[in-house]
Amino acid sequence: MASPRIEGDTLPSLTKTITQSKIEQFESCGIIERENIHNNVDLAKKRLGTTYAIASGRMSVAFVSESLRKYFGPDVFNHSGSVSLKFLRPVKDGDILTISGTIIHTETVDNGTRVTAEINCENQDGNATAVGQGTAIIP
Amino acid sequence: MPDQELKIYDYDKVEIGEELGSYEYVLTQEMLDNYRASIDDPEAPFPTLAVKHDATALAMVYVDNTGGVNAGNEAEFFNPPIPGKKIKVTGRIHDKYLRRDKPYMVIEATAEDEDGRLIERLRTYQMKKPDEVGKKWHPQG
Repeated sequence: MASPRIEGDTLPSLTKTITQSKIEQFESCGIIERENIHNNVDLAKKRLGTTYAIASGRMSVAFVSESLRKYFGPDVFNHSGSVSLKFLRPVKDGDILTISGTIIHTETVDNGTRVTAEINCENQDGNATAVGQGTAIIP
Repeated sequence: MPDQELKIYDYDKVEIGEELGSYEYVLTQEMLDNYRASIDDPEAPFPTLAVKHDATALAMVYVDNTGGVNAGNEAEFFNPPIPGKKIKVTGRIHDKYLRRDKPYMVIEATAEDEDGRLIERLRTYQMKKPDEVGKKWHPQG
């Protein structure tokens, strides 16, 4: 069982290096093959006006989930966790993301204590690429 | 997989609450390994994130030539999927709205496995005017 958490605790910080190869590998996990702004630079240029493909926002969801899972433990997070992110800037080949978070709230719910963390994803320039919240319920 | 003719996506015609139907696939160990490698997390339990259940549900109903930019995601995790098990996904249009004159659509998918274990619920907030986002990122044009 996870130990009680308190407001002000920090999540394990993660650093992730983004490559186009990783972006395309993530895309290849799908069950339908399709060209998109993540695996086709020309399509990204046409639709977004960028000179590069961008990483799926779901990669950031996965990174944040890893940090939360390491904080709460898999028995808790994998069965009661949630992630909510707003994407602010593109993530692309060559970026180095840092995922961090702080516990900001706890509340008693029917099946335990819901713990909420404020989440930040920053690139190597210190610019936020995504912000949001993560939660889990500790029995 | 649904065996139906795809419709042309039209933001104005899409309805809130519209069902996108359901589809099934078998999650393989290879998919799990591939997902874990892509995010450098050898213990990542939800490769379903990369399958993009909600976007896949939309793509099985609509041909979307507009495209969109993912403005946000909400994911809820209930039970890690088990390789070798069949996953059933049900999708729908959760919401659509205008914000700062930009059209947004929210798609949602819920996944459970062949034993009825709830796996994951995913929502994606798509901004359906992607060139506007590009201008914001590159204001010099």
